[in-house]
Amino acid sequence: MPEGRFPRDIGALPSIFEFVAEFGSSHDIPDDQRYDVELIIEELFTNMVKYSADGAPEISIGLERDRGRLVVTLRDFDVEPFDVTKPSTPGRESGTELPSAGGRGLHLVRQVADELHYEYRDRNSTITVMKRLDS
Amino acid sequence: MLEIRVVEPGTIQLTGRLDASQADEAMTALRKLDGPLTVDFVGLDYISSAGLSVIVETYRRLQGAGHAFRLVNMQPRVRNVFKYSGLDRILQIE
Repeated sequence: MPEGRFPRDIGALPSIFEFVAEFGSSHDIPDDQRYDVELIIEELFTNMVKYSADGAPEISIGLERDRGRLVVTLRDFDVEPFDVTKPSTPGRESGTELPSAGGRGLHLVRQVADELHYEYRDRNSTITVMKRLDS
Repeated sequence: MLEIRVVEPGTIQLTGRLDASQADEAMTALRKLDGPLTVDFVGLDYISSAGLSVIVETYRRLQGAGHAFRLVNMQPRVRNVFKYSGLDRILQIE
């Protein structure tokens, strides 16, 4: 499984997108589905950067094509637990009809991903996402 | 990368990607704009929740001042992100 390690920094996103693009090219991933995968990874990665600032300096991202689906794995080391599978529907910003910004990223992940799993062990978080690929 | 270009008074065009690494720069650029605004998405390939926050803040600021705020020419995959977030029901998307 191709795996990359990226600094715990929002500035790492261009390198992450390059990593996903290279994987997409070499594994015949359609552009629209690569876009979905980039969105999933960005939202989960930025969540780790924002909410686990004291974790290990690098976050691991793995990609694997398993027959008709893509498996994305993000591993965050030496962090407190943060279960991204717990439902949270964004509320409304006070006094407006606007959906609140809080939780918007994870809400998008749940909309785009086909499966989302979370495991926490020995201070390490592992998020596994399945995305079906169109044949 | 993201490019923001004023194509005519009251209309800007976005090109590239509006992700978390570009959001601060985009927010700074959009805060300089005032009056009715049309945002042309024709060249935007990608948007994430960080990009949505930039658009929402601009909407709130301009709408609060009584100005129109329109989003036009979105690619389907970009429009889907607005739809998934529920913002397609609030913002004027054409």
